[in-house]
Amino acid sequence: MSSPIHSPQGNWWIAGVSVLEKTWIRISVVWCLILFASMIVWASYGKQNQHGPTYRVSTSEYIQKVQDFKKAGTQTEEGIIPADEHIYVAAARFSFDGFPVVLKAGKQYQVHMSSYDVQHGLSIRPEHALSKQMSLQLLPGYEWVLPMKFDEPGVYHVVCNEFCGVGHSTMHGSFIVQR
Amino acid sequence: MIKELFTNDYGPDGFRTCSVTGMRIDRTAENFVKIFGLTAVVALVMGGISAILVVLTRWEVVGLLPPDAFYNWLSVHAWNLLIFWMVFMEVAILYVGGPMVLGRKLPAPKLAMVGYVLMLVSAIGINWSIMTTSAPDQAPLLTSYAPLPSSEWFYLSAIVFILGTVIAALPFFAAIWQEKIEHPNRSLPLVAFGAFITAIIAVEALLGGLITYIPTYMWRIGLIEHIDAAWYRQMYWIIGHGSQQINLAAMVTVWYFLTHVVGGAEVVSEKVSRSAFILYLFFINMGAAHHLMADPALAASWKVWNTSYAAYGAVLASMIHAFAIPAGLEAGRRKRGAGKSLFGWLWSAPWGNPVFSAVIFSIILFGFMGGITGVLMGQMQLNLAWHNTWATVGHFHATVVLGTTMTFMGLVFFVIQTMFKKELIMAPLARIQPWFYSGFMALATLMMMYLGILYGIPRRHASVMDIPGTDFNFGAAEPLFVIFGIAALLAIVGGILFAGISVGSLLFGKKLEPSSVFRPAASWTGDGSAVHLQSMRGTFTFTLIFLAVFVIAYILNWYLLSRLWEIG
Repeated sequence: MSSPIHSPQGNWWIAGVSVLEKTWIRISVVWCLILFASMIVWASYGKQNQHGPTYRVSTSEYIQKVQDFKKAGTQTEEGIIPADEHIYVAAARFSFDGFPVVLKAGKQYQVHMSSYDVQHGLSIRPEHALSKQMSLQLLPGYEWVLPMKFDEPGVYHVVCNEFCGVGHSTMHGSFIVQR
Repeated sequence: MIKELFTNDYGPDGFRTCSVTGMRIDRTAENFVKIFGLTAVVALVMGGISAILVVLTRWEVVGLLPPDAFYNWLSVHAWNLLIFWMVFMEVAILYVGGPMVLGRKLPAPKLAMVGYVLMLVSAIGINWSIMTTSAPDQAPLLTSYAPLPSSEWFYLSAIVFILGTVIAALPFFAAIWQEKIEHPNRSLPLVAFGAFITAIIAVEALLGGLITYIPTYMWRIGLIEHIDAAWYRQMYWIIGHGSQQINLAAMVTVWYFLTHVVGGAEVVSEKVSRSAFILYLFFINMGAAHHLMADPALAASWKVWNTSYAAYGAVLASMIHAFAIPAGLEAGRRKRGAGKSLFGWLWSAPWGNPVFSAVIFSIILFGFMGGITGVLMGQMQLNLAWHNTWATVGHFHATVVLGTTMTFMGLVFFVIQTMFKKELIMAPLARIQPWFYSGFMALATLMMMYLGILYGIPRRHASVMDIPGTDFNFGAAEPLFVIFGIAALLAIVGGILFAGISVGSLLFGKKLEPSSVFRPAASWTGDGSAVHLQSMRGTFTFTLIFLAVFVIAYILNWYLLSRLWEIG
């Protein structure tokens, strides 16, 4: 009897392996290669890839950048219309800075993101379809720049989904995407 | 009465022979297994109490706790269940998998005692520091993400707990060392080998914990001025996820052990199963990287390579165990004529025994729910939709609760009957406990996954139905919250049942001769034919169903991602 609580007898390395077990291992290897390849394929051909440069930045520098962004943009009742394709947003305990921003549907923007104090989350979804959501991590000291293009108009709500203190669940911001 | 729990009929050399497993058991080793196991159950109860408060807060129809109390209790929930319940059990498992399986004395029992005391004191310290959190400190949750400060006593206690665990693991390594000195040409039994791999993965994780928490403690008390958030995340996840890999490896080891002693499973291929453990050793620690997929500061190539766990070495290992363990049960039972049809070997198994049903449910639910979701969220781009949503919490409830906790519950029932030699009280309830608990826990877990992926419900929120200053809220998800709330509360009832039966049996259970409940392993002899030549077509069918579910879930997740706006 080959028991898991006794030392195996003889040369167990050359003992036979069931045909079905070998088949399953081959299937598994192929599947793992597909899993690996799909990330690389999507990085080349897919439209959702969290690639973008990161820069080291001090909190005071980044506060200044967000202030400059707000000053350069046009303030409307709905929010800030950015002066160019660069948007600067930030999270702080317990609110977002730089929001709400008014964007044009179909136009690509460079979204700069960071935190003024601790780790935060930037979790975005349109009001009309909660299942279309994605989340990014914001770290103090790092400015992350990700290109984003919203094709569907609508209000995209932003909440913080990294615990940042007792008031964490009250944080809110929005992207207003217009035609 | 307490003394009675730690007595057994040992011979003059301090050993006894277990009538079920046939193992030669050393008195000291057995007593430490009991002490660590009992402490683990206390942590489970503490975590269970916090679960009630957490569920009743997240289900906002009740909305029990205000935010500050909620985050404290959520931290208590995480540390007691993910860390203390698991790690105390795992030290016990090491002492079973090392000294007991090898029939040796527990080396250096004083070290075991020092380790135990340090672990116990620091576990109390962590609970106390969490419950007394006051501004500017915040509840640490599991991650204690710097630079958000937690109590300095929390970091210090975490360091002591890690050191205590390393010390408690040393007698295990010493036992393996002594065995190899005495028998250099004898292979370790598979269970001892699995425990050995578990212990190495554990030490890696624990060293990562020291690298994380010592500088963080120094930062918290002001010796270091600045702590970098990206550095912290990378270091923290060595232990944060690494500790869950200990759970995985320990659980798989226990699966091999219990399916054998309770169901008559055999090892269908030593080579294949051991190779899978070796794959864990080399690759599983990189699984930790999936926490960093939505982070700045890391290159895409770093993310792709590490989430691939270097070509999915660890996923491959788990898929191999997913075949090898049920196949061992199938082949072992067929060899003895238990069931001729496709699944006859399974239907004829001892389903009325809660040890058996707990293990089988944990294998199935861990694989279908925990394993598949782990791979999904570990894909770099798919992680965008999973990161920090409640679906992530669903994933680890599938792995750590439906998988590891269920397995360890089965193991506790086994130890109560074979080491404490007590009959389980309330036998009919004990019989249904694994069905009840795993059923409702699976439903609650599924709801967390749906709520996270389909509604984007964030994790770690005291309330999502009301966000001050905006009309926006997650009210659309309310119906699923109702199912979650009810299922989670019923699962907690299943947990209370477990604790009640366990503690009640120890205190009031009748004296039991274990071989009257479990078939002695020595009697599991078959027709003498080679195990690998037995049919495994039932297992193969199961694994094909598993693969089909995996592929469908995979395609669905990519489809959902492709509907999002362009990013990157």
